[in-house]
Amino acid sequence: MEGYVTAVNVTDLQSAVMRVGSLAVSARLLERGIEPVFQISCRDRNRLALQSDLLSAWAFGVENVLCITGDHPVLGDHTEAKPVYDLDSVQLLKAADMLNQGKDMTGHSLESSPDFFLGAVVTPSADPVEPQIIKMKKKINAGAAFFQTQAVYEPDKFEQFMNKIQSFNVPVIAGIVLLKSAAMARFMNSNVAGINVPQTIIQELEETSKEDRRHKTVEITARIIRDIKPFCQGIHIMPLGWNELVPEIIEQACLN
Amino acid sequence: MHATIQKPVEEILGYFKPGERVFIVGCDNCAAKCHSGGIPETEEMAGRLKSRGVDVIGWCVPQPKGVSLCKLANTARVLQEEYGKETGQADSFLVLACGQGFHTVMDATGGSMVHPGCDTIFGGETVSDTFITEYCSLCGECIVEYTGGLCPVTLCAKSLLNGPCGGAKDGKCEVDKTRDCGWQLIYERLKALGRLEELSAYKEPKNYSRWSRPRSLTIGEGEVTFKSLSGEHTVASHD
Ligand code: SF4
Repeated sequence: MEGYVTAVNVTDLQSAVMRVGSLAVSARLLERGIEPVFQISCRDRNRLALQSDLLSAWAFGVENVLCITGDHPVLGDHTEAKPVYDLDSVQLLKAADMLNQGKDMTGHSLESSPDFFLGAVVTPSADPVEPQIIKMKKKINAGAAFFQTQAVYEPDKFEQFMNKIQSFNVPVIAGIVLLKSAAMARFMNSNVAGINVPQTIIQELEETSKEDRRHKTVEITARIIRDIKPFCQGIHIMPLGWNELVPEIIEQACLN
Repeated sequence: MHATIQKPVEEILGYFKPGERVFIVGCDNCAAKCHSGGIPETEEMAGRLKSRGVDVIGWCVPQPKGVSLCKLANTARVLQEEYGKETGQADSFLVLACGQGFHTVMDATGGSMVHPGCDTIFGGETVSDTFITEYCSLCGECIVEYTGGLCPVTLCAKSLLNGPCGGAKDGKCEVDKTRDCGWQLIYERLKALGRLEELSAYKEPKNYSRWSRPRSLTIGEGEVTFKSLSGEHTVASHD
């Protein structure tokens, strides 16, 4: 994927499933010369641990930080875990921004300060979208300098959303999850918030033979990227294991 | 009110040593409303335990009607005077009420052995005779003035203070498709009240030291004092 992607997102116990932490993986990527987007969620740590892990990340050379709320523990594999959420994503952004300014949340001065590039998430196809936009504005005021979105499949609706937030003047990286099958698309439509795969795409996938599926996935993804490219400042491809398709998608979408 | 639900009778049976003489105490306020420790349930529990071989030497639900078991003076009077004969012979007490009522029985009986017959599950609104639900988490720092009267600490599964996560689908929370997203409710209510601008204001993180336990309230002459790990906080009841 080298030469194709600018940075790699490192998820923080995504879907509330226990696994190696995003800080260690981000540090390892840096060792290999790959730029990470370190995701940090409010689910598992209180304000002491969040600030400390941010400083630890800086000590490892991590610059890009994506501050997220985090999926609730009951959605994961440790359903009896205590959800923390001591801070919410806006408060976490503000805390990280304070660290950038050389202070912790209590106002104590740091010996040296980090210089994080802070990001946040927004769900453009939420219904209603107004609370998302209000919160997006709060995130910007709290220090968010870029946004990543939930997966986008409807270029028209995405364009409308981008028009609504035009005055925010903040770079938006649109998300796209590779659609591996019609069944997966249907599953996401009924189970994943903020995702709406149009019927026409589901039909396209349905009419594709199993052998041609990967080819089709590349074609659909590249097409959506070409359609939304004019309205956003970057694309975040979520390949869910089909990583080897990413270079081809990028070529077909004329992103290089 | 404190909502409670009875523990399974098998679990309760496991508490008692052979030959232990047990006196059962219910509560005529909250536990009665929850059907976990009112007069019918307390009498029923006495019968259920007796039929399983437990030496139940008596039971009561302290009166007057509707009084809370957690009012120590009343509970002490009833247990020591009205039921003094039975309670004097008891090796232990089984309480069908919330954790506060439970401790009140400990205090009212000079530190006797007391067994919990219920799980205390939440503080709630008695919406009807058949439905009780939770609107407040007793956090010690009420913020509903800014959220249309609906508490996000309680109604949002993640207790978010600055607006919704991205997890709601069709107005339902990501944790449960049958449960309303608390922030969707807050948004709609603020919109209906014409106060949507409240959503735009940044909300500071909560002061969790006010939610430290155990907390206390001391009622003095014209003033009351709340004590928690955030310190002592005294408020006068008049100018
Ligand atoms: S879906 Fe709504 S209620 Fe559930 S955690 Fe997110 S904001 Fe809170």
